[in-house]
Amino acid sequence: MQNKNDITLEKHGAVMLLDIEGDITAFSEPFLNDAYKDANDQGAGKILLKVGQDAYINSGGIAVLIQVLAQTKRNNQTIGITGLSEHFKKIFNMVGITKFADIHDSVEDGIAALSSA
Amino acid sequence: MFSISVALQTLREANRLPFPIIGNKNNMINNNDRSVEIILANQLGFEKVAVACSASFAQLFGFPQDRIEDLKTMVGEAFSNAMQHGNKGRSDAKVKVSLQCKDEALIVRVKDEGVGLETVPPVPDIDEIIAQERVITGFGLFLMKGLADEVEFRETRDKGHVVKMTINMKERVKNAEQE
Repeated sequence: MQNKNDITLEKHGAVMLLDIEGDITAFSEPFLNDAYKDANDQGAGKILLKVGQDAYINSGGIAVLIQVLAQTKRNNQTIGITGLSEHFKKIFNMVGITKFADIHDSVEDGIAALSSA
Repeated sequence: MFSISVALQTLREANRLPFPIIGNKNNMINNNDRSVEIILANQLGFEKVAVACSASFAQLFGFPQDRIEDLKTMVGEAFSNAMQHGNKGRSDAKVKVSLQCKDEALIVRVKDEGVGLETVPPVPDIDEIIAQERVITGFGLFLMKGLADEVEFRETRDKGHVVKMTINMKERVKNAEQE
């Protein structure tokens, strides 16, 4: 089972894209936290998380994502999420993630929306 | 132990036959026995096997993709709970998943060797969680209850605990009281 994530950071103007490869589970915690810390250290004020379309996301992974949302709120950052299937858009709405992060249909849409926010 | 590959192969073959024949672990076959049962190791990664098997089963009976996605999440969460909380991570324990298609509903049972929930965790409040940056628990159960049409938890006659979830082919609109 894949228990690691490769997360690439890309700067797009004012937006830092965190491109997450792999499943998002409780095992993602150190990888996501490290990537968020890197983004934060680089002064990112706007963050876009990109999830793989076929990624397996479970409640443990949702909990890790919520931890990241909490950190962005504490640091007054704006965050968005992209790459989600319709099913996970529904799930994220059910758990309330959409109150703290906008969901975008594409990276381009996410970068455009966050840039103008 | 009934192998998953045999189960899925039987299901696939059944789909090509001119009459509905589905295999179960005893190879007793008839139109009323639209079921499959798998017993899996209490090992990380096997939740994906349960998820894949459940999805194939639902697909065979014509469930729409959105309901299959709901089922996948329900089964994955139930299986993870069984491994972690029911079987306490014991490597010698097993998780049994049984699937049954009845009318326009699919019933899935996930059985572990534990005693079930001592206390039901409260519905997670994301506003509070984010404000307090506290440890998050209870989302798995929340998702199972939110996605399934019915959820029951009970101890079994033999040693164990089972969660029974029913998912209808068509998603019904839930109101707050039902949740």
